[in-house]
Amino acid sequence: MRPENYEAQRQPPSNEFELNFGPNHPGIEGNYALKVKLHGDVVLEAQADGGYLHRGFEKLMEQRLWIQNIALVPRICVPDPSPMELCYSMAVEQLCGLHVPQRANWIRVMQLELSRIAAHLFTFGGHAATTGMYSTMYWGVADRDLVLDLFEEFTGGRVYSIYNIPGGVRRELPSGFLQRVSETLDYIESRLPDYDNLFFKNQVFVKRAKDVGVMTQEQALAWGVTGPNLRATGLAFDVRRDDPYLIYDQLEFEIPTEESGDAWARTLVRRHELMESIRIVRQVVEALPDIHGPIRAPIPNPLAWNVPAGETYTRVESSKGELCYYVVSDGGPKPYRVHVRGPSSMHAVQVLEKLSVGSRIEDIAQTMFSLDACPPEVDR
Amino acid sequence: MSKEITHWLDDLLAEIEGIVVRRKSSRRVRVDVPADALPALLELLQGRAGYIHLSAISCVDWIKEDEFELVYHVWSYESHSLVSAHIRIAREPGVYLSVYDLYQPAAFFERDIHEMYGIHFEGSPNMEKFILTEWDGPPPMRKEFDSEAYINEHLSWQNYNPEWLQELVAEGGGVIIPPEEQRFSQKKK
Repeated sequence: MRPENYEAQRQPPSNEFELNFGPNHPGIEGNYALKVKLHGDVVLEAQADGGYLHRGFEKLMEQRLWIQNIALVPRICVPDPSPMELCYSMAVEQLCGLHVPQRANWIRVMQLELSRIAAHLFTFGGHAATTGMYSTMYWGVADRDLVLDLFEEFTGGRVYSIYNIPGGVRRELPSGFLQRVSETLDYIESRLPDYDNLFFKNQVFVKRAKDVGVMTQEQALAWGVTGPNLRATGLAFDVRRDDPYLIYDQLEFEIPTEESGDAWARTLVRRHELMESIRIVRQVVEALPDIHGPIRAPIPNPLAWNVPAGETYTRVESSKGELCYYVVSDGGPKPYRVHVRGPSSMHAVQVLEKLSVGSRIEDIAQTMFSLDACPPEVDR
Repeated sequence: MSKEITHWLDDLLAEIEGIVVRRKSSRRVRVDVPADALPALLELLQGRAGYIHLSAISCVDWIKEDEFELVYHVWSYESHSLVSAHIRIAREPGVYLSVYDLYQPAAFFERDIHEMYGIHFEGSPNMEKFILTEWDGPPPMRKEFDSEAYINEHLSWQNYNPEWLQELVAEGGGVIIPPEEQRFSQKKK
């Protein structure tokens, strides 16, 4: 466009304008975008725009053997991959009627809760960064790395552990591993007062997060909100306790709740959950030496494994909320259909769109990070 | 789920004509209904039995029977149980009713199924593309869509055969394992 040819277009006077918020923006979690209509700094309308991370997992899974999909599923949610493996494995176990040994169940709980700790630390880091508190971000990522070190030691993978398989877990724990888990937990717990002072009690954060993205319990239930976001509105619901799987009904833990339903409450619920997860892992560390036996049930030749025809719906509590797999088998060597219901498919789309309206543009990041929305789960 | 609630739920479900109820476990109930009766069933489950949470809507393409199966998973926070309502609709024209007025989360699932399977939900608030914005091919999750054939037809494969790889192959080393030496390739049934 040459300047001499340029002619300003006359538009009717308006105070409204549109803005593409994302897909590359520090206030957006992952590759995701919001198309917002603004009046000044106030959001009039928000429209979620996904698909930047679509990898077609559900189609790919129909084209791969039951056992091959184990390497595929953790990639659906990057920050918290372990529940993905477990939920898929549980579905295959239910279809085959496999009985998982007790020791494997206890090891699985340890893996899940360590993954939850890592995911929450990561979220705190990202959330703090949206308010300009980069120290918390560095701390969160560094402390998460200690959990990843544990993962590397007992599963072989830092992020995608590919450790759960239908029937149990892949490897026995290395010697002296439980001691190192205890040490890491002690260290993370000792850090929490520092996190409180630096982040959770920090007025920079409290003033930014209070009364932002508020939803009532009625709204949360109507919008399909689950997990910590639902608990932040005062409803003590947790799949681990109310629809128990593995050995969660044998463990002692509280379900923390908050009443106000805003960004601050949602973050605080996660802060309390971190402590509960540490408590659960400690119970596992204490009990595991006395639980002997195999770590997986015998399975047929995995490369020629025809899973009996049937369908099942499995549910677990991931760090973001209710994660479900609907798996259908037609009796063949590959799944006939796998549907992944990630918790963020509600939080990142409808809930984020609704909560953004009426807020200021700088609060969108607060809302999104406090919802802990994970776009890879939406796109799949 | 206590026994009382179980019986009460069975009585309630018996109000719908043509319903088949199967109890899969203490917290999972499978219900098969004719497609016409689904809105009435969901209204009953939501209004009188407390199944207020729509966990997901799953779609399965049964191409041999020329049908789509839609599965509505609803959860009750009171009785802590999950009802999966299964219906079948014809593949052509692939039209069904939206349940958005009962369950708001349905908007996302219906939009997703529309995009991936091409089923149109009448009354759904938004049927625009969400994930496959720039896709103009057929709905990709349908069983007749063969992704590998589509790629071969529309895209060209890159020929990646650099010199260092050729040298490695010539030496007989590297990562390439000849077919006859592959561990599972020769297994016969």
